[in-house]
Amino acid sequence: MKGARLLLPIVVLQAFLFGASAAKLDKTITVPPGAVVRFTAFSPKGDFIAGACQDGQVRLWTFPAAELRQAFNLQDQPVSSLAFSQDGTLLAVGGTRGAVKIFTIPAGKLKTELKTGQTVLALSLSPDKTLLAVAPQERPAQLWDLDVRRVITDLPAKFSGSLAVAFSPDGKWLASADADTTIRIYEATTGALRATTDDLLLETFAIAFSSDSKYVYAGGADKTVSEINLTNGKVLRAFPKQSYVVGDLHDSPDGKSLVAVYFDENSFKNPAPVLLWDTAAGSVRSTFSESGVTPNGGGYAKDGRALVTSSSGPSLQVWSFR
Amino acid sequence: MSSAPAAAMLAALQERELQYRKPTPPNEIGPFYKKRAPQTAMLRAPGDPGMPLAISGQVFNTRADALSTAVIEVWQTDHLGHYDLEGYRYRAKLPVDNHGSYKFESVMPGHYPDRVCQHVHYLVTAPGHKPLVTQLYFATDPVFEGDPDRNFGRDPLIHNRELVRPVILSGDPKTIQAVVRFELVLELL
Repeated sequence: MKGARLLLPIVVLQAFLFGASAAKLDKTITVPPGAVVRFTAFSPKGDFIAGACQDGQVRLWTFPAAELRQAFNLQDQPVSSLAFSQDGTLLAVGGTRGAVKIFTIPAGKLKTELKTGQTVLALSLSPDKTLLAVAPQERPAQLWDLDVRRVITDLPAKFSGSLAVAFSPDGKWLASADADTTIRIYEATTGALRATTDDLLLETFAIAFSSDSKYVYAGGADKTVSEINLTNGKVLRAFPKQSYVVGDLHDSPDGKSLVAVYFDENSFKNPAPVLLWDTAAGSVRSTFSESGVTPNGGGYAKDGRALVTSSSGPSLQVWSFR
Repeated sequence: MSSAPAAAMLAALQERELQYRKPTPPNEIGPFYKKRAPQTAMLRAPGDPGMPLAISGQVFNTRADALSTAVIEVWQTDHLGHYDLEGYRYRAKLPVDNHGSYKFESVMPGHYPDRVCQHVHYLVTAPGHKPLVTQLYFATDPVFEGDPDRNFGRDPLIHNRELVRPVILSGDPKTIQAVVRFELVLELL
């Protein structure tokens, strides 16, 4: 008993010091044997979860009801990337041999498909859903006109390709995080280069625009989330550095917070935290860190809670925290 | 006879073809490239654990011209399989001489959970040529079990056997080191 009484103040002190938040396991979704969910994407309104599964299927569940609504696949290749449109009515699915298919949500009808020839590392749909940015591995990112299914322009880095792409919520800008460690900002409709960020020394794996389309947040191997001015590419500030590498970023619908999914540089399979950053203060609002849990996706629920997914055998776990 | 110029032309073409060098196969850049690495040929610090490693080679283009203007950047893990993300340990920009030759000293990189094989990353650039991003692998890697011809595919990122290079052990038992040669051939723009 004495030990337990001593332990409680330590836990409270840790929570105070590190902003640790009691995470709640919201849902456990059972998937078929052999269909372990490798990574997920939440629709921007938080009403759907898409999961790329080891059996090649992308499963679409409603949230919070967790009802399976659709299952898609790319037929001949594993899925390597997922991206919802900003209104949540389309889901773009990219594959390891360069295929991209875009499905309507929730109906699940194939709207269009295209080929890039290389593993699709990242995808982003423009807010009006007429443009698609694609990042094929080790090749320049591409800006596609979806109406005519044609590449408008390539978006080359100095070498290799891009690791993340994102359109701004107002539809004016497109950002790419490139393997040459530069963040490039383009005019969304033409692909004309407007600004570059050369200050980052290591590769960036995730980018997200602020909800007012004024800033880009970038995070990667430098274990830091940087806030970048869109007009000149300058790094305005860097949030405090963490012990893990940033793998995924999501701006909240109200623009007040940012979900950052981290991973362990020594192995993607190791447990790692998810932080909820207060974007105004540049400080950690709360931390998701569960023993033995390796996050494989993040986003926001309709009510503003931060969401995290993880896989445990034949189930997908959905956690929430504030 | 009109055949003499044709024969000369054919001979010139054959000569040219003999000189042609196959471009080095590209290999993906991986997640831990870091720019502004210091220029040095000595990546190993005194007392560093691990098997000493000496790598050398020459940079050409596909016309077999030696490229003295090439810039080579290399990065790798330490002997335990850890990349240095904070500083520049085992990262360097290599000096290249007038003949396009380079060499550097390091330690044999370690294995780590998300990669099957030991490797060294290369980024090679030269004016007028396509940048080359590739990786060097070692025929002595235990993963190959002594048969890289058969087993190089055990690392799903090795798409080309050519990137697995022979390793020669040289020196006496106290100063033994692994020696590897890796030529780099860039494509013209």
